[in-house]
Amino acid sequence: MVRLTPDILQAVAKPARYTGQEWNAVHKEHAAMKCTFALSMPDVYEVGMSNLGIKILYEVLNQREDTVAERVYTPWIDMEAEMRTRHLPLFSLESFTEIAAFDFLGFSLQYEMIYTNVLNMLDLAGIPLRTAERGEDMPFVIGGGPCVYNTEPVAEFFDLFVIGEGEEVLSELADAFIAWKEQGRNGGRRGFLRRAAAIAGVYVPSFYQAEYAEDGSFLQWQPLEKEARPLIYKRVIQDMDAVRFTENPVVPYIDIVHNRIMLELFRGCTRGCRFCQAGIAYRPVRERSEEKLRALARQLVDNTGYDEMSLTSLSSADYSHLGELVDQLLADFREEKVSFSLPSLRIDSFSIELAHKMQQVRKSGLTFAPEAGTQRLRDVINKGVTEENLLEAVSAAYRQGWKAVKLYFMMGLPTETDEDIIGIAELAKKVVDRYTAIKGRRGVKVNISVSCFVPKAFTPFQWFGQNSLAEFERKQQLLKAHIRDRSIQFSYHDARVSLLEGALARGDRRLGAVIYEAWKAGAKFDGWTDQFRYEAWTQAFEKCRIDPAFYSERERPLTEPLPWEHTTPGVSREFLLREYQKALQASLTGDCRRSACNACGICPNLGVKIVDWGQANG
Amino acid sequence: MVKYRVEITKDDEIRYISHLDYAALMQRAICRAHLPAAYSEGFNPHMKIAFASALAVGVTSDAEYMDMELSEPLDPSVIAERLAPQLPAGVRLKRLKAVEGKHAALMAEVDQAVYSVEVPLQGNAEDAAKAVDAFNAAPEVVYHRVTPKKTREIEVKQYMQGKAALHVAEQSVHLLLHIRITSSGSIKPGEILALLCHNFGLPVQESLAVIHRQALLSKGKTPMELI
Repeated sequence: MVRLTPDILQAVAKPARYTGQEWNAVHKEHAAMKCTFALSMPDVYEVGMSNLGIKILYEVLNQREDTVAERVYTPWIDMEAEMRTRHLPLFSLESFTEIAAFDFLGFSLQYEMIYTNVLNMLDLAGIPLRTAERGEDMPFVIGGGPCVYNTEPVAEFFDLFVIGEGEEVLSELADAFIAWKEQGRNGGRRGFLRRAAAIAGVYVPSFYQAEYAEDGSFLQWQPLEKEARPLIYKRVIQDMDAVRFTENPVVPYIDIVHNRIMLELFRGCTRGCRFCQAGIAYRPVRERSEEKLRALARQLVDNTGYDEMSLTSLSSADYSHLGELVDQLLADFREEKVSFSLPSLRIDSFSIELAHKMQQVRKSGLTFAPEAGTQRLRDVINKGVTEENLLEAVSAAYRQGWKAVKLYFMMGLPTETDEDIIGIAELAKKVVDRYTAIKGRRGVKVNISVSCFVPKAFTPFQWFGQNSLAEFERKQQLLKAHIRDRSIQFSYHDARVSLLEGALARGDRRLGAVIYEAWKAGAKFDGWTDQFRYEAWTQAFEKCRIDPAFYSERERPLTEPLPWEHTTPGVSREFLLREYQKALQASLTGDCRRSACNACGICPNLGVKIVDWGQANG
Repeated sequence: MVKYRVEITKDDEIRYISHLDYAALMQRAICRAHLPAAYSEGFNPHMKIAFASALAVGVTSDAEYMDMELSEPLDPSVIAERLAPQLPAGVRLKRLKAVEGKHAALMAEVDQAVYSVEVPLQGNAEDAAKAVDAFNAAPEVVYHRVTPKKTREIEVKQYMQGKAALHVAEQSVHLLLHIRITSSGSIKPGEILALLCHNFGLPVQESLAVIHRQALLSKGKTPMELI
């Protein structure tokens, strides 16, 4: 057990990040358990504690009488220094048990820029970074979350990956582990991995070897064990009402990023935006019923004492009976002063009315995501939003009293021209002018945030070559030059980070060495602007003699085998190709949820179906 | 509206949370207990609770006081029964009483806090005694309080109620500090310890100090005795 003395805790910022004991934290006697999990999102406590997936899995695993799950997040730089000086190993927040003593260490991989944190945490835990170097007494390191749709850059650091939704599969892994242990750890580590590989949705990367073509591109997988299946389909929960949700989430003592109840209305989004990986990864749409959601809301308020609830989903405004649900929730919790919020607003006046109803009075800023500056480009990405939609939505918002609007855009999208970039400035100007027209005076603040597009695996743009650094920076300056209204605030991302993310997002196994070298050179918390160390990465690429542009900027031939296609959300290659072609022609595809099926292949491949309570068949 | 006063603790488990976080956890506990809390009027209603005196981060306490208003009267024993099981690790409910009659705000009433400091000795007991004696004898002692914005000079002896009392046992230094809380300010026990170490040569391992608030008083009485 790790003991933290006052001199350590007094020396670091926010010591309560490391002291646990929060309300609803689960404490079990490890000696009485057959299986122990350490669950992590490899970022600082305030970020990690805000992750819904970890909350759910924590509760699912702790429901089992023979299993305990505890939490561990990334120590901040100051704490890491204290731990390294004092040779304190990484520990869990519940029992202060050394992480290396757990049976499993699970990481939720939310975005590529936290890969170095995984390595750093393994190192702090005293766990050999590469699976091949791990001894029999070491935990099995599991990866999950959205990054599993291209696991390869980090494949050598993980014993196994869980593809898709984890509620059922983690419990199956625990069963397999207990059986293996009770049968005398038959076959050692590899013996367990063979059993694990037989579970649907589990990918064991060490059972596969990559072969490359002469030009350096990926060619194919060579299976090394008979358990190595050619395709690993994601796991999906069909019945969202039946599956365990987090009913007793841990309530932190200190403020965190999302310090409120998260009520998950549904999974999936079928709007079909072509840049969006989540839109493919979480298909099909599966809604919870209104009754279930009301019951969950009641339990969550009773069990946490929170007075704030966020109705979360990929696009919450698409919930089939959102209006009714919001009215019911407002009525249910009127006396208790619980406030509700929608994290994602659709661009229409229905959303504004809802937001108005929910916020009642407080007029914080409204956020919309038109994503592109011209209608042509919005059609390319299948955003399905017109300029009229946006102007109507902001008009409704202004009439309700909002004075600040935030607009999200991307640059570097396929077929993009300078006209599309300038279109962002023109659209923002129209949003400003609309305020003046309605209110008869100036006074609105329009914040436009423009990120650099990163093509992702399993999207119609997975073949597309990302813009170069010079091109991104040119476009940023071009846009800047076209913003002349002082009501418009323009912020943009560091294109270097986006290009690195682009290389990692579509990289292959050869990038494992680069990630390792970058970590060795001090890279960590790469997603934190003040911590990002570009030189660590450029040096790492040079040392490994790898050109990042091969992964980020190269347009892939449509026939090239892709190194991520074996851990699949179930989407068919034909659908993605078809969507890419339609994108180039700026041709739209409808939402399969309430109109015709677009044959993406996911429902038949996975044997699942849409659950939409707005549909008769729902 | 009915007002109640509670005496609660801040124990080791939550030693490092801020006063604001402590207030937030009490609010959530009151919600979980389904007590009919009263809220302020206006656009952004907030629960009507008020605390006596903010505790420095890192300090534990047996003497935290909070006034809360309920929208309907409830028997204090009923409130205690509902609230106690909803308190997280690190908070214990010691006493709860209805506030009868009119009283000044808790924060305005308290005028003294009693702290114990326990810190490992790093030298000999005589030097420790000399340091504390010198501090007690000094007519004025100035502490430089550094905040991100500015540095303030604070004369600390005006805030000392009597002498700092020293007791050394088994390589451990125990200090008992009676500190005045005034409308114009006060001094933190950790700041007194820092002065003792750096200006008077108290031979201890300052970074391992454990500070605890034993009592919070108003003219010698606890806030529970005032109502």
